[in-house]
Amino acid sequence: MTSRETLLELHDLDLLLFEARDLDAGARLRRAGLGFGDPSEVEKARARVFEQLDPRWRYHYARALTRYGGAIASVRARVCQGCFISLPRSAAPGSGESLTLCESCGRILYWGPREPS
Amino acid sequence: MHGTMVPSALDSSLYIPELKNRRREAAVAELVACAHRAGAVRRPEALIELIARREAMASSAPGKSIAIPSARSLSVIESRIVVGRSTRGIEWHAPDRQPVQIVLLVLSPAECPLSVHVEGILRLAAVFRLQRHRQRLIEADSYEAAAAVLREAMA
Ligand SMILES: [Zn+2]
Repeated sequence: MTSRETLLELHDLDLLLFEARDLDAGARLRRAGLGFGDPSEVEKARARVFEQLDPRWRYHYARALTRYGGAIASVRARVCQGCFISLPRSAAPGSGESLTLCESCGRILYWGPREPS
Repeated sequence: MHGTMVPSALDSSLYIPELKNRRREAAVAELVACAHRAGAVRRPEALIELIARREAMASSAPGKSIAIPSARSLSVIESRIVVGRSTRGIEWHAPDRQPVQIVLLVLSPAECPLSVHVEGILRLAAVFRLQRHRQRLIEADSYEAAAAVLREAMA
């Protein structure tokens, strides 16, 4: 799996765990018959995926996650959806890459396949 | 995806009048494929896996023949609800053991706040707890009819 795919999977698992651990959301979903059970399997999967990451990305991911509660921001119309700064053309990834760092907020930027650079 | 967001989350290309599959995992894959064809999601395989992980950890079928699977993910481009019907019913492990006839797949992009995503799920659950809304959606045989039920019920 590429660093990109690993990072995207890690981020999705963190979003899922964030939902499972949110006390208010959990209580409301439970009242509607949609409650969460034991998150340990997802936690184990998350730990495995994190270990697979290249150390460089692990560092950037962990730092942005601690700082913002979410480490990856998607890019829409060349705007970082984490800090909403307009990104310069030079911020776009080169060929064969699809991840870069936002120079403003430090989040990992996810340039979707159809995002114009 | 609260009340005012629902009309924009509906889309005629995101409606399956009769799901082909009668197994939960395959039905979810059918709904995700529909969203992918409509351009609402990317990385469909990863999204199917994420939904399966959530299904394994949380209940998405509160009973009464309704299921509301969901995902908040970088794979989702725009907030969308994919609606699927199954007149024959899908085995979904609901607490009342009733097969599911209506599946409402709630998709939110990663940047959608958790509170908004959860509110969308809860709103659908509350609306379709009522027999009259469920029945009208089960009987809706076109996207227009299904969208009218959703818009009215969630207004
Ligand atoms: Zn940024």
